[in-house]
Amino acid sequence: MSNFSLEERVAGCRRRTFLRLGGGLLLAAATPLHALQPPTGPVVLTVGGRVRMPNDGAQAQFDMTMLEALPQTSFTTRTPWYAQARRFTGPLLRDVLSAAGAQGSLIRLTALNDYRVDMPFEDAQRHDVIVARLLDDKPMAVRDKGPLFVIYPFDSRPELRGAVYFSRSAWQLRKIDVL
Amino acid sequence: MATAEDRRAVARRAPGRLSFSWLGLVGFVLVLVLLAVALVQARQFALLRQAVQMGDDYVVPLVFQAEIEQLRLHEQWRRAADERVPLDTETLRLRYEIWVSRVEMLHGQNTQRLIEGQDDHRQTLQQVRDFIAAADKALGPAPTAVLDRDFVTALAPQLEALTAPMHGLSLSAAHKVSEQLMQRGVTVRQQNQLGLGLTMFLSVLTLAFAFIALRQVRQLRERRAVLEELATKLRFARREAEAASDAKSAFLANMSHEIRTPFHGLMGMLSLLRETGLTPRQIDYLRTATESADHLLALLNDILDMSQLESGRVALAVAPVDLRALLRDVEALMRPQANAKPLALHIDADPTVPERILADATRLKQIVFNLLSNAIKFTDRGAVVLDVRTRKGLSDQPEIVFAVSDTGIGMDEATQAQLFNRFVQGDSTRSRRHGGTGLGLEISRNLARLMGGDITVRSKPGEGSCFTLHMPLQVPPGPATEAAAPAPQGVEASRPLKVLVAEDHPVNRQYMAALLENLGHDAHFTTNGEEAVQALRRQRFDVVLMDLHMPVLDGVAATRAIRALTDTERSTVPIVALTADAFAETRDRCLVAGMNDFLTKPVNLERLATSLRRLFGTGMPAAQAAPAPPRQAATGRDGSPVVDEAAIAMALQAMSREKLAAMVEDFLDQAPETVQRLRAAVRDAQPLELRTNAHAAKGAALNLGLVGLAATAEALQAGAAHLPAHEVARLVQRYEDLVPATRTALRSLGVLRATPQDAVTG
Repeated sequence: MSNFSLEERVAGCRRRTFLRLGGGLLLAAATPLHALQPPTGPVVLTVGGRVRMPNDGAQAQFDMTMLEALPQTSFTTRTPWYAQARRFTGPLLRDVLSAAGAQGSLIRLTALNDYRVDMPFEDAQRHDVIVARLLDDKPMAVRDKGPLFVIYPFDSRPELRGAVYFSRSAWQLRKIDVL
Repeated sequence: MATAEDRRAVARRAPGRLSFSWLGLVGFVLVLVLLAVALVQARQFALLRQAVQMGDDYVVPLVFQAEIEQLRLHEQWRRAADERVPLDTETLRLRYEIWVSRVEMLHGQNTQRLIEGQDDHRQTLQQVRDFIAAADKALGPAPTAVLDRDFVTALAPQLEALTAPMHGLSLSAAHKVSEQLMQRGVTVRQQNQLGLGLTMFLSVLTLAFAFIALRQVRQLRERRAVLEELATKLRFARREAEAASDAKSAFLANMSHEIRTPFHGLMGMLSLLRETGLTPRQIDYLRTATESADHLLALLNDILDMSQLESGRVALAVAPVDLRALLRDVEALMRPQANAKPLALHIDADPTVPERILADATRLKQIVFNLLSNAIKFTDRGAVVLDVRTRKGLSDQPEIVFAVSDTGIGMDEATQAQLFNRFVQGDSTRSRRHGGTGLGLEISRNLARLMGGDITVRSKPGEGSCFTLHMPLQVPPGPATEAAAPAPQGVEASRPLKVLVAEDHPVNRQYMAALLENLGHDAHFTTNGEEAVQALRRQRFDVVLMDLHMPVLDGVAATRAIRALTDTERSTVPIVALTADAFAETRDRCLVAGMNDFLTKPVNLERLATSLRRLFGTGMPAAQAAPAPPRQAATGRDGSPVVDEAAIAMALQAMSREKLAAMVEDFLDQAPETVQRLRAAVRDAQPLELRTNAHAAKGAALNLGLVGLAATAEALQAGAAHLPAHEVARLVQRYEDLVPATRTALRSLGVLRATPQDAVTG
């Protein structure tokens, strides 16, 4: 029932490997030099917990511009929240985590409405989970589950289409705690 | 034999159609059940997938979240309406936005499905939309009103009114979903039960299938055992039947043989009776009696032949045969029968047919006789023709063909088809008239097949028949061996050999003495095998010349006795057979018994010398050189040869004319005695005695070149057992008649001195 052909999967794997490698290099090389700049606009995302590149006390704070500056990923997927498949765009979760120098085994996502869900740190590495900031190339208002929406590429693997992954897809994302 | 009981046993234990159909039915149901199980599992899978895709379970937290947000917004709204607290528009806006995002979710498909058919819920959602529309005027993305305390207070009742319905919605969703879950549980349980049932049924069916298959296998095994038992019984029965048949054949053969012996005596007496001065009437009776006896003998001979052919006891004695002589014999015998009717008899051999062929002369003659006598029997006028030719048979092997055609009554195809069957004659209404056993053609065909050939027939009713005997043509090495014999080189001084000759006939002893003396050897004589063995025990000999037919101990037995001697020097003495038989069979018998060489009579100087040279090397003297005289024979009055001049010339090389003359005189003087013994043997019905005497006479006559007497003696020897008594008597008469003729011929050749009587009669 996979919508992905074998080649695409292989390509996906390669890209992931490349990204993981890239992330590692970034992490290894950039710790002191590229310390995370403090946000200039309104803070939309706070990464706390085991963060090695904080820019506000012990936390790493991101404004929309900082998230925009990270490499962007887009995909279209069906979700339980929309009748049709929608296109989501945003940085990969693992890139956001590396930008904050986060390292742990579990991440706790908290939404504006204090909805909270735990996600294994692994998920961000294994799946191309994005912190979507655009829905169909448009910014999302809070009433549209914005401004940030954690999205798994549900259609890439059948096992992602389950309640566990749907529940980990926190919308109105406000805070990430790395445990 | 398969008894009815056996057959019933097989039928009873055979796996019935019923069993097979049961197996088929169970197999079919098994497949159906497997399909059903697959279907149930497919449905379960589909159900599960549907549940996951629809995400109904997800609706409950969704509604729950919406209710919580509702309560939070309500709380925030209440605080904003409170005049004691400063208006926090930011927080209110965020709460409102979050609430909107949550209630928006309620418009989703899943929620829609959940609240389907529930008007109050639809009304709730409408209420929510109405509130959003009102609130958005100040809180929405494009505000038209100012967000102040008045705005908040104005809308507070409307928000308040939403609390209860939202809670109802939440409860309703929870109930609905738990209902669904229960429903799904029930379905799954039902399907599980169904699956369980099917699995149990499947197990039962599999067991049934295995049981039936097992029973089938057992039945097959039983059936096979029964069949094997039956086959064993049949094998036994066949063996018994064959044994019985063999025993019958053997009995038949023995009986016909036993009957023949006294019968020969009867016939001999009949032939002697004729010479006792009978009245014409008695002669007529006698002739009838003789004819009946002949017929009876012919029947006996046929039965004997048939039974021997059946029991496979017939062995062919293949030897070089003078084909022209054989045909002459046949003609001589057949012509009187043909002449009795207005019938022409032509016997013709193609010039390409070899003079000599390898065949069993007696059997070949028997077949040709049978075909010719049949032809004559069934032809009243016209001609009977025997045509002998050669042709290329199958696979290019040369064949010799004897075609007997007649202008007789002919046969239709049905008759032809039955022709070679036992006891069937061309026309059953005629069998009485023509006589015969009806075995003749079957015997002939069996013999022909034994010879590697066959008999075929072509015929049309009223147009005559043509019977064709064909067999592989084999030509003997021929006279080439004689021609290639090394030229005699004259008597040489050489080691004289000490030769022991075992020979019962006095003439032959004299003859051999003369030959050996000529070659310079030292000859010793014994008159039978026993004496020869004794002589060898007493002293050493260089070589033994052993006649095969001797009284007391014959040549073959004597050879075995010699080879069994303990003294190896004595037991390995070379032994050369002397015999008047040229049969390969005889030769084989001699060589098997341990003889070293084989000389057929007439033994002449050259052959003897060659044989001794072969045994003792080139130092042995060769025979005296002499121009080979033309092979020509002095003939008797009836035209057949009486004396072989060549053989006499050979003998004269070995001995003086006087000595040969003395030997011949001796032999001829013994002739009356020989004739007397032969007659006595005929009278006493002693075929063995007859054969022994004839054989002895034949050997001596051959050595002396008296071919007429030798041929007659040979005919007597060969026919002793089966020729009708009157034929034997005729042959004895002929032997007697040939004695003066031989004497005359020898005189004319100068071997014997002419006497005054000869001058007068010659």
